[in-house]
Amino acid sequence: MLQPELIQLLTVNDLVDTSIDTIPKLPVGFSPKGSLFCSFTSHNTEEGEKIPFTFTPHQILLHKDHEFFEDGDIQRHLYLQNLSTYSADDLPNARPCEFRCHISGCSQVFNCVEGYEHHYNTLHRHVCSSCQKSLPSTRLLDIHIQEWHDSLFSILAERQDMYQCLLEGCGLKFRTREQRKDHMINIHKYPSDFRFDKAMRTKKNKTARKNLLQKGTGMEESISKPEGSSYRPEEEESMELQPALDPAAYPADAVEMSTEIPSAPPLSVPIPLTTNQPRSQHNRGMQSHRVPRTVCFGQGSVQGFRGRGRRI
Amino acid sequence: SKRLLVNEDEDEEGGTMDTMFVFLYVSACVSACVSACVSACVSACACVQLSVLFLSSFPVGLPSFLRQQGSISVLVTNLSGPHPQCRLEAARCFHELSHSPHREVDPWRLRQATPYLITYLSGQSPKFTELCLYTLANMCPDSENVRELLLVQGVVPALTSCIQIHRYNLAVVEAVAFTFSQLVSANSASGEMIPAVLASGLIPHLLSALTPDPQFGLGPAIECAWCLHYLCCSNVDNGTLVAQGALLQCTSLLVTLGGAVAKGSVMEGLELLIWPLLRCVGNLLLSGPLGALQPHLKDSRLLAALIAFAQVFLRTHPALARESIWVLNNLTADSSVFSSAMLYLNLVPGLIQLLPFSEGINTMVLRVLGNIAHHGREYCVHLAQAGLLSALCATLKMADSEVVTFSLEVLGQLVASDTQLADEFIKQSGLPLLEAIQFNSQETIRIRATHLLEHHLTPLCLVRN
Repeated sequence: MLQPELIQLLTVNDLVDTSIDTIPKLPVGFSPKGSLFCSFTSHNTEEGEKIPFTFTPHQILLHKDHEFFEDGDIQRHLYLQNLSTYSADDLPNARPCEFRCHISGCSQVFNCVEGYEHHYNTLHRHVCSSCQKSLPSTRLLDIHIQEWHDSLFSILAERQDMYQCLLEGCGLKFRTREQRKDHMINIHKYPSDFRFDKAMRTKKNKTARKNLLQKGTGMEESISKPEGSSYRPEEEESMELQPALDPAAYPADAVEMSTEIPSAPPLSVPIPLTTNQPRSQHNRGMQSHRVPRTVCFGQGSVQGFRGRGRRI
Repeated sequence: SKRLLVNEDEDEEGGTMDTMFVFLYVSACVSACVSACVSACVSACACVQLSVLFLSSFPVGLPSFLRQQGSISVLVTNLSGPHPQCRLEAARCFHELSHSPHREVDPWRLRQATPYLITYLSGQSPKFTELCLYTLANMCPDSENVRELLLVQGVVPALTSCIQIHRYNLAVVEAVAFTFSQLVSANSASGEMIPAVLASGLIPHLLSALTPDPQFGLGPAIECAWCLHYLCCSNVDNGTLVAQGALLQCTSLLVTLGGAVAKGSVMEGLELLIWPLLRCVGNLLLSGPLGALQPHLKDSRLLAALIAFAQVFLRTHPALARESIWVLNNLTADSSVFSSAMLYLNLVPGLIQLLPFSEGINTMVLRVLGNIAHHGREYCVHLAQAGLLSALCATLKMADSEVVTFSLEVLGQLVASDTQLADEFIKQSGLPLLEAIQFNSQETIRIRATHLLEHHLTPLCLVRN
């Protein structure tokens, strides 16, 4: 149906210059009597006769809801309705190979790469090397490190606004953590219990400090830090494991995040504890929640603990 | 419109008695499970996995799930928790809830999930990110409250960061662009949402994803193009869009697609990409005087592509053909450059071929021809040489009064510009046509015909040379 000329125009190779500048432009304008809109001086024209032609060339702007677009919008809608993408956990049945998490101490196995990816990105990717807290993004990790493990930060924070809004693109900074939290709640409508903005608990626990020193995290000076510094070495231990002591103590809408129960269906893969970090808390005869070393349950990530300063 | 990430194993909806029993049993289990979770007796994760199976297999159970006290809190707890599998299952639950057609499942009720869904957009897992994206996207239509909340919670920078992180993963790019299109296609979007999107640095990413990947398919390009269309036709700041290369990119792609179409390779769904591109170009042409836009409109093949689209899609998608000619209208209206090019490249016969077709196509074609004619005598002469006069003799006989009116306008310009054209028209038995039109029921048509007969087609006029 297309003219051969048209086809040729569109399929010409790139060597041909198709620039519109190369096309000669016709001269514009009409002869003195040659326009539809000039009034004839002919005696045929009556006085006061208006020229009935009204068309003038003009561009047409169309809003998205203009009826001109209706058919196209229907096609778009049908396209979306009919679209069903691949399964969210598409298991390649032909491939029997397994994926194993290579992080030392985490021996989880997966039967598809997406599962492994998700596991790795959730638990191992943005992990603070000081306190092993796992965060969902690079930005939140950077903020965490800066605010909790950078001694310079606390010094600067005394003089200027250092606490960044957690939202990318906001750009505001605040003098205190509480001010930042108020901003998140009031301006950005975040919940007051947003998991990734929980205050770290302060703990005074000799056992914890001892364990920390044994671990050799490199924070050898942390013990001598004054109270209220940004270093919270004792958090290390308090975070790792908080077994549920008293279910009745929980507020009604809090839920214990116990991920391993021996009788649970296959979804919760038991992760063996590492032995290179002593954990005195385990021997308390509570319901044992086996937790991989690399998962940090502290800083409020265990939903059951709404109170402050839980002491062991 | 909502989109669904379908788990291929779970898309059956049963209607048999057996299925009803299973439904009731499972829903009872889920209810018991949820209340057990709330009182912290049972693994929340198991509950969540059971819930997602339930919800995806029995979408009819969604309202009852929502009515269960604490069900959303359980899901949010798992969504925000540290266990990857629980997060994934909770996200799946929210996804099922988000695209439910049940009126009771109000997206506003899912709002506790949004801070986490948005936070996870900066993560690195492509599949999980896709899930979060489609969930957020599905919550947007029909709920202004949700869109406002998302805006305030920073969804725009999070989406921009997401498309930046995952720019080589086309499935995620498609999901991000779709989510953006849901955000900016609302009627109120021009207030705050669109300015935020325009300022976010998203446009270069959209533009670079416009060219379809031959292996992956058209999906990402389609979503980016529709997103751009909503941004362009809101007319909030089209100058910025042009400055960032939107017009250039869209026209280049249309030329490429025109070439494909001319060769006969029209892949399935191509019209869904061409449609929004046409609309972007059509509206962006009004963002400034055409002379200023010239650097973005250098390729003369654009004109040929527009004609080709109109001809190829004439039968299957006449509305697309009409929109293609609309873009031609916006190109030729104030531009002697493009009008000259139409004549020089001999594209007018192709246009004339479209005159017999209704649904707004012939009136739009007549507009374009009128645009060209209005530039001057030379243009009129060339149009006549391309066969326009005889074509007008046909359109003047049509029933549609708008077509007749436009035909008279164009004819008027032709015969007024040069007496030879008037002569030509008479030779083609034009006079009896006009005389018949003098009895047309509409006055506006009658007076046009009369004016032509009296002022431009009388023997006296023709003699005066």
